[in-house]
Amino acid sequence: MPEHSVLVVDDEPIVRESIRDWLTEAGYGVATAETGEQALEMVKTQDFSVLVVDLRLPGKTGLAVLEAIKAERPWIKSIVITAYPSSETAQEAKRLGAVDYLLKPFAPDDLERLIDDTLAAIPPEATVTTVEKAPAEAPVAEAIAVRETFAIDKKDLQSLYDGLAASAEVLGPKAKKGKFVFDRIKRFEELCLDYDVTVHPPANCLRPPHETLLTMKLGDVSAGEPVLDASPRVLFGVHPYDIKAIELLDEVFMTAHPDPHYITRRQNTVIIGVDCLHPSANSFASSMGTHQTETGFDLLLTDIGSAVMVTIGSERGAQLLAEYTGAREPTDYEIATQKTLRDAAVEDYKLHLDVARERLPKLLEDHYDDPYWEEKSENCLSCGSCIMVCPTCFCFDVKDEVSLDLKGAVRVRQWDGCMLSDFAKVAGGENFRHGKAARFRHRIFRKGKYVLERYGMVGCVGCGRCISACLPDIASPVEAFNAIAQRAKAESARRLISKVTPQPDLYAPQPAKLVRVEALAENEKVFEFRFDNGDSLGHRPGQFVEVSLAGIGEAPISISSSPTREGSFELAIRNVGNVTRALHALDEGAQVGVRGPFGNGFPIEALEWKDLLLVAGGIGLFPLRSLVQYVLDRRDRFGRVVLLCGSRSPKERMFTDELSEWKEDPGVEFHETVDGGDASWKGNVGVITTLIPGIDLSPAKTMAVVVGPPIMYRFVIGELKKKGLADEQIVMSLERRMKCGVGKCGHCQINGVYVCQEGPVFTLAQLRNLREAV
Amino acid sequence: MSKPKVAFFDFTCCEGCQLDTLNIDGEALVELLDAVDIVEFREVMSDKAGDVDIAFVEGSITRESEIPRLKKIRERAKIVIALGACAHIGGINCLKNHLAMEDAQRIVYGEDAEKYDTIPTRPIGAVVPVDYVVPGCPINTAELLRTIKELLLGKTPELPNYPVCVECKMAGNICVFELGMTCLGPVTRAGCNAICVSAGRHCWGCRGLVDDPNLNAQKDVLEKYGLSVEEVLEKFKIYNTCTTEGIK
Amino acid sequence: MSSIHINVHHVTRVEGHGNIVLNSQNGKIEELRWEVPESPRFFEAMLRGRHYNDVPHIASRICGICSISHSTASILATEAALGIEVSEQTTLLRRLLFNAEVLESHVLHAYCLAAPDFLGVKSVFPLVKTHKDVVLRAMRLKRLAYRLAEILAGRKTHPISLMVGGFAKLPEPEQLVALRDALAESLTDYDATVELFASLTLPDFERQTEYIALQDEDDYAFISGKIASSDSGTAPVSHYLEVTNEFCVPHSTAKYTKNNRDAYMVGALARFNLNHTQLHPRAKDAAGTLRLRAPCHNPYMITIAQIVECVHATEDSILLIEKLLDRGLEEESIPSEITAGRGIGAVEAPRGILFHDYTYDENGILTAANCVIPTNQNHNNIQKDMEALVPTILDRSEDEIRLALEMLVRAYDPCISCSAHLLRVSFTNDASTGNDPQKS
Repeated sequence: MPEHSVLVVDDEPIVRESIRDWLTEAGYGVATAETGEQALEMVKTQDFSVLVVDLRLPGKTGLAVLEAIKAERPWIKSIVITAYPSSETAQEAKRLGAVDYLLKPFAPDDLERLIDDTLAAIPPEATVTTVEKAPAEAPVAEAIAVRETFAIDKKDLQSLYDGLAASAEVLGPKAKKGKFVFDRIKRFEELCLDYDVTVHPPANCLRPPHETLLTMKLGDVSAGEPVLDASPRVLFGVHPYDIKAIELLDEVFMTAHPDPHYITRRQNTVIIGVDCLHPSANSFASSMGTHQTETGFDLLLTDIGSAVMVTIGSERGAQLLAEYTGAREPTDYEIATQKTLRDAAVEDYKLHLDVARERLPKLLEDHYDDPYWEEKSENCLSCGSCIMVCPTCFCFDVKDEVSLDLKGAVRVRQWDGCMLSDFAKVAGGENFRHGKAARFRHRIFRKGKYVLERYGMVGCVGCGRCISACLPDIASPVEAFNAIAQRAKAESARRLISKVTPQPDLYAPQPAKLVRVEALAENEKVFEFRFDNGDSLGHRPGQFVEVSLAGIGEAPISISSSPTREGSFELAIRNVGNVTRALHALDEGAQVGVRGPFGNGFPIEALEWKDLLLVAGGIGLFPLRSLVQYVLDRRDRFGRVVLLCGSRSPKERMFTDELSEWKEDPGVEFHETVDGGDASWKGNVGVITTLIPGIDLSPAKTMAVVVGPPIMYRFVIGELKKKGLADEQIVMSLERRMKCGVGKCGHCQINGVYVCQEGPVFTLAQLRNLREAV
Repeated sequence: MSKPKVAFFDFTCCEGCQLDTLNIDGEALVELLDAVDIVEFREVMSDKAGDVDIAFVEGSITRESEIPRLKKIRERAKIVIALGACAHIGGINCLKNHLAMEDAQRIVYGEDAEKYDTIPTRPIGAVVPVDYVVPGCPINTAELLRTIKELLLGKTPELPNYPVCVECKMAGNICVFELGMTCLGPVTRAGCNAICVSAGRHCWGCRGLVDDPNLNAQKDVLEKYGLSVEEVLEKFKIYNTCTTEGIK
Repeated sequence: MSSIHINVHHVTRVEGHGNIVLNSQNGKIEELRWEVPESPRFFEAMLRGRHYNDVPHIASRICGICSISHSTASILATEAALGIEVSEQTTLLRRLLFNAEVLESHVLHAYCLAAPDFLGVKSVFPLVKTHKDVVLRAMRLKRLAYRLAEILAGRKTHPISLMVGGFAKLPEPEQLVALRDALAESLTDYDATVELFASLTLPDFERQTEYIALQDEDDYAFISGKIASSDSGTAPVSHYLEVTNEFCVPHSTAKYTKNNRDAYMVGALARFNLNHTQLHPRAKDAAGTLRLRAPCHNPYMITIAQIVECVHATEDSILLIEKLLDRGLEEESIPSEITAGRGIGAVEAPRGILFHDYTYDENGILTAANCVIPTNQNHNNIQKDMEALVPTILDRSEDEIRLALEMLVRAYDPCISCSAHLLRVSFTNDASTGNDPQKS
């Protein structure tokens, strides 16, 4: 029967046939039975996912059928239909495992939807298809409820082992010299499922220390013959952290250039996991989230003492369970015991990560140059023990071995790793990761950052094997992570409670006097302020201040004058809100409060010695004026200066005297336009973008700075890109609601950045990564 | 190269390395004889030869009179390969270096001490330039065969530059430090497949040290596991007297 | 007869370095010497101050061919000195391992070192073309002996698992079964060996001498028993000094020995002469086919006795393996309690009886050592044999005489570098021949 097939049991032919027609049209495979007995016979030889059964049947009742199905084929989902509802039958049906209960008459849609939902509750299959070498008479188990848990008797483990060992090599944990090793299990009695950790990880079976890749003939230019190992294996007793490690290896080897050697082994390997109820003293799997798993296995066992719980992870697992054990529904007590044991195991971990593991990548990145790496690796022997016992390591070297007659050769890969001294050495002699400290750091970065960023899965599963294996006791990743976290804390300890010297006046404005105010346009004025204590503002062009009027409020205003003009600073302000309205009402001599300057300002260092294309749209001129004055005050440090200004109309032109100055200035190529002209206007008319095509630029040495309303950006940037400017060469200033100015209140966020801290000036390159920016 | 002329020579040694060369698997030996011309091998042949392409030299230099003979071999051979620990790093014979020469002779020779000719043991590389090495006490014959094959192919034979620990892990061994023993594996050059640990013992360091061994760390580790400083130095003495003194 | 000058510098196809010097004028022998100029190895001095677990490791390096013999003797001496007893399982395994050495050493000597002379070639290598089967057979037999040692001790040359107190690692039953089967099959190869050597014509030379070997009550002794002499019966191993009586000679850096006569012989022929009744049945048959009968006084028959011992060792190994499999192998812990003391270990190395004599302090550190090597004990006998042989062949050509002398030396299968372990030489510089044994 095709996958997801439905068995319909009803004694009324009309019901049977119509349901069959609906479901067949909906794409399901459907079979029908007249009686309960017939249904039970069919279930023995054909596989179904769903049973639709009428409660009233001649002979065996629907409920009896439910009970029998639950015992023999527990993974079949049952839906009960009946024309005679009663709460008792409903309850009984539920107790016997029915998924739901439909009253006749019901619409085809209802049934279809219910079946869809029922089947959707079965999670999609794992991407690895296990190619099993099943014996001829194996009962074909169906697509069943993966992740469902059943209970089996302990003795069933032996029959499971016997069944598997008959046709596959079984490897599992066994005792050796007071430790546990993952090795060939020749007799069931050797298997020790209650263990803390094996000296070497089971992943070694999937990526062995030596592996022949190709057989070749010398002097023959044709490709070698790949050598693949398809012998069937069973890993019986894999702890969750090792399962997680194998999932990582799957990701590494099965995606983007799938590796046939690994894949062949993997597809012929059955994984039977076992819960780790007694973690080793060096394990920190709970901190890495690998102490339990819901994926990556065919079966997962939990020994609860009185029985063994088995969770199904794949079809293959379900098949094995059906074939070799008497699996049954677990009792509530058993389910509770499993949970209790698992929770208790979590308490047993002795080593813990002191910082949330999601923070590790950034934490490590910020401490790339920390002296910790040098200090800790002083005693490193470069012996490779840490990487050789690691379940998530997978680097290798490739060598050719020839026969003595120099006719044939094999190409072999063997384990290699970043902690060995010559790993990054090339034939010419240069070693690109020279020195213990660099190698030591690289390994920790692999485990905490690089693997996660590249493969999306944690790079260290916290098994603790490297901690045991390292003779000078330096290999522990959790110790390194915690040490770096401690460093970070130590650095931020300067900002920490008693250690901190607070700025009491962080939010307290400094008094400044309004020395001059001048109208610019209908709603815009320019204000000149001087601090009462005579201090200069000490700002960079492009920064902003917070201006306060006590009782009214505080508003962020761009600084419009250059820091080169000392003593006072100018703010051009448009009347738009409460604070700005109140400011507009001030007379010269009035007092305001000023905090700042804030923000990053224009990147003067990137602009110096370049040709500049400055584009000011409307009141974008307010912040840009600060830059223009600065550039003109230091004219010899810049190349060409092309200044484009645009206003909506001639009446709305501002700083007109200065505009004329700039027009006359031989050091400035000044172009102006208005969106819409009037009778007196003799200049360009058109949006500011129209000015750009006519400008001749050397794109390689030009930096463009653009400030204006949001709508303008898109078009201007388009024209600038046409001119051949790269994203890094286009600088913009963004506006957001800003309040505190010190990166605390949160209003100015664009994705992860604070405009008052990392902005308001950004390059287009930076904005490409900020999805909310444009 | 066309069938190269290969010869075996020995100085002060137990001849075990040459013996093991003869013990390579029968079929491989026949193949070897097809691939190279063994023109001199005193232990098993009566023939003598003139110039040779590859000279394998076993044994260390312990007497003044051995030096001219070694120099003559260097003159006759295009390539000289040190065979085994005695030739490579002095081997067991270096233990005698710890007795002051006078004491050694007196203990052993009595009143005729000064008639006896003995000098501190040296590897052959301390007397003549040596091109390649097959280390170990005894050698790993697979490594010998590989060296010959690589020379036949025009490759530069290379030894692994990582410690025995790597091969121990590949062999699936439990680290002997965890079993109450101590071991020189962490600073000893691999290439032996960790045979001694796999056979139940520990590494004595017979293949010499890796290029850049962290000897201080190794001493710290051994002390951490219960050895006194003297005991640690005793461990290194057995094979690595010359290497720890920087004598190559 | 005119003058004959033979100066074989570094006899080939022997282990170690030895010289043969013969000068005669008109039928009168002026000089006839077997010289041992081997570099002294200073092993007794080197062992001083070493820990008992390192002592056998170092002593093993006295010789590459008989490393198992030296390791075993060293271990027995150490155990006797420190008061350590071992289990029956360990003893059985040691006997089995020892057989591997006997087999490998004798096959090497018979096929590679001695046989070429009989087949008119300079080494075994040309035989690869002309007698490929023979060479492959020899390689097979050596390989099997090697494999036996590998499985029991990790490797044949300088064994690893063999240690004071027991074995660091036990073989798996399947491995022993495979070995037993292979050993049984190899008997066919030994039959062929017997046939080959029975067909060779050995020089007919005899000189009666004293024969000394270990002798045990029941088994053909290799690693147990008392010292037996063909002249004076048995003595406990602790009396070895009175039996060996080492002394120095001017032309040898190795010492000489003698007991009841002016020289004595050790080795396969000595063992055969003393213990032939204890050989296993097939070995006895082989001796018959090879026309070896006790007492045999022809040193050229040492090689023949070695072949008989190979057959015996093969049979013995099969019996030992069956006994071990019957008992079942069990992991045993290595004893670590020790007391200070002196002990002597004696084994029959392939070349003859070998003694190691150690004294340890209460910390298990060696304070004094002495070794008497089989070949040492044969040097004197070789000298005496030469003195008896040369007059009978002086009428031959120089080449023939030289070959005969070389073959005599080779017959003894000397292991010269072992024998030069120790020097207590008082000597005079022998200027007359210009051969200063001090110079190699």
